[in-house]
Amino acid sequence: MTGRQAPLLSVRDLKVVFPTPIGMVHAVDGVSFDLEAGQSMGIVGESGSGKTVTAKTLMNLLPSYALVDGSVNFDGRDLRSLAAKRKAEKHLWGVEISMVFQDPMTSLNPVKKVGEQIAESVRYHLGQTRTAARRRAGDLLEQVGIPEPGRRLDEYPHQLSGGLRQRVVIAAALACEPRLLIADEPTTSLDVTVQKHILDLLDDLRAERGMSMILITHDLGVVKGRTDEVMVMYAGRTMEEAPTEEIFSQQRHPYTEALIETIPNINSASHTRLVPIPGQPPVTTSSPTGCPFADRCRYATDLCVAQCPPLTPLADDHQVACHTPVGTPAAETALAANAARGHTATGLEIHQSGVPVGAVVDGPGERV
Amino acid sequence: MAGRGTVQLRGDEDVILRVENLVQEFPVGRNRVVHAVSDISFDLRKGETLGIVGESGCGKSTTARALVQLPPPTSGRVVLDPGSENEIDLTRLSGNDLRNVRPRLQMIFQDPISSLNPRRRVRDIVSEGLEIWSDGDIGTEGRERVEEVLHAVGIDPAVAASHRPHQFSGGQCQRIPIARALTMNPEILICDEPVSALDVSVQAKILNLLEDMKARYDLSLVFISHDLSVVRNVSDRVVVMYLGKLCEVGGADRLYEAPAHPYTRALLASAPEPARSVGVADAVLGDDLPSPTDPPSGCRFRTRCPLAIDRCASEEPLMQQISEDHFVACHLPFT
Repeated sequence: MTGRQAPLLSVRDLKVVFPTPIGMVHAVDGVSFDLEAGQSMGIVGESGSGKTVTAKTLMNLLPSYALVDGSVNFDGRDLRSLAAKRKAEKHLWGVEISMVFQDPMTSLNPVKKVGEQIAESVRYHLGQTRTAARRRAGDLLEQVGIPEPGRRLDEYPHQLSGGLRQRVVIAAALACEPRLLIADEPTTSLDVTVQKHILDLLDDLRAERGMSMILITHDLGVVKGRTDEVMVMYAGRTMEEAPTEEIFSQQRHPYTEALIETIPNINSASHTRLVPIPGQPPVTTSSPTGCPFADRCRYATDLCVAQCPPLTPLADDHQVACHTPVGTPAAETALAANAARGHTATGLEIHQSGVPVGAVVDGPGERV
Repeated sequence: MAGRGTVQLRGDEDVILRVENLVQEFPVGRNRVVHAVSDISFDLRKGETLGIVGESGCGKSTTARALVQLPPPTSGRVVLDPGSENEIDLTRLSGNDLRNVRPRLQMIFQDPISSLNPRRRVRDIVSEGLEIWSDGDIGTEGRERVEEVLHAVGIDPAVAASHRPHQFSGGQCQRIPIARALTMNPEILICDEPVSALDVSVQAKILNLLEDMKARYDLSLVFISHDLSVVRNVSDRVVVMYLGKLCEVGGADRLYEAPAHPYTRALLASAPEPARSVGVADAVLGDDLPSPTDPPSGCRFRTRCPLAIDRCASEEPLMQQISEDHFVACHLPFT
């Protein structure tokens, strides 16, 4: 992150606010990160944590009523001012930065042959002829591992299985040799076997082309062993950012810890009781005074309620926004104090063992 | 196997549901037939959770629907209380007789939003089953039952009376079909991918809720999912399906710790966090299932199997026992 060279993508204090009937919703609330050429980063968090809005900001896909603040720098160019000009930079999005969406069925046009859908961007952005673009589409299908690419070019999306469709979407995203690929939950609707193939494919393509990649997912298992770095988001903020291995071996934020604990482990015996995260993610209509996760955190102290912890470096490349990072004496003291009085500073009831009560049987706080 | 045979069936009295040689085929025109489920047999003990795993298109959901006769299977038997004097073969029932048995089996579907009527209040949705069975007025007892069940699944009955499904979050929404199923006091709850539309943090809550409800209401569960970790977590026994056939049946921990079928091994190795019982070399599957209209001869898995030999094409493997409560249909099982 520190960078011997200038990063390919640099996001500083990004804020995205949507005016809604219930007030101004802060979907992204001060996110900063750098991504170097060839590097891959995972963005992880629950629904509503701001992952997709961050991605859409990079892709210039936000609705016009969204209020954006902060800077987004791609290869020395300011994306936000380019976005304002719109037409001037029509060959940036989809060419240098492209995106793979979650559901391959809705991101492909059902009444257009897949070959045409891939060739379309080649013709539009690179100005190639119909024949050349078609040849290029065939090559791309082959690169993403679709058998019989020549025949598939003339098929419609409904004739392909879910895995093949997602490969077509990836082929289309790669058509103009992007330098940054954003994959938003690329495998969420797919089977495990297909998921593995798609993730392997993205890995290989990234290595081959020296492309940078942002992989967005709500499932921490997906980024494990696949990305260089992981950013954990919650309520539009960065909670923790660290090399992927460290996120799993020594996560520091209680939210990261909770996310890892809540996933059933394939290697644990059947009927192992799961530990859900109590409560629900907040909708932030105003910048919170305290830590946004405090309500659901077993370590919460009075300080957490009073003051929002800034993102601070703990070690090289490892940043966390928490007053009581997991694994530090501060966390142990806070947890022991909370367990002793039976609840945290925010009133979340917890057991002697430190497990939140709401995690076992839902408390009334969970009810609508 | 993906093969056939019935050695995996248990003969004891505790079995509450037995599926024998179930076949479900759908004609798709031009004399072609989709062989969705081809001759599978399994059973469910009282108080047990039976997990069914497999890729999309392997016939998991078709099996679940055939259990409740939606639609009735092409052939085979679905027997409630087998061996007892109250034994009922659901496939032989029709009309009112079938209707009278249905409350004993309830279903929960994948997408809570689309399985709930958005225009009705939650309480009305949950009490509808009781209303149908009581000619309109569910009475004090019925209302108490609805209150109790709503409370048990973690929905405030007062809120349920006035709110509609869209006013609940996705995770809360999945509690509504669970409550709806429980009001009928079922013996068997069939859950078809109940958590795959949910966020990971909500998934844990719903899985815990299902475990609690199973204990509280004395249920037996059939739990279908493509997520291997989830299936191990909730199940006592697991059935692995491939292209309409059974591959492997066994106790959950046994099957995950010592998978014997090459397909089970491939599935376990493909998970984001692979099971420790298999190696990287086991993750060998190509993308696609063969077409169920024209399944491969012999073992249906042979076209994607790393170990396939000539015999696999000519002879369909029979289900064989390899250890206590562990059965596999393969000519070359890992043991």
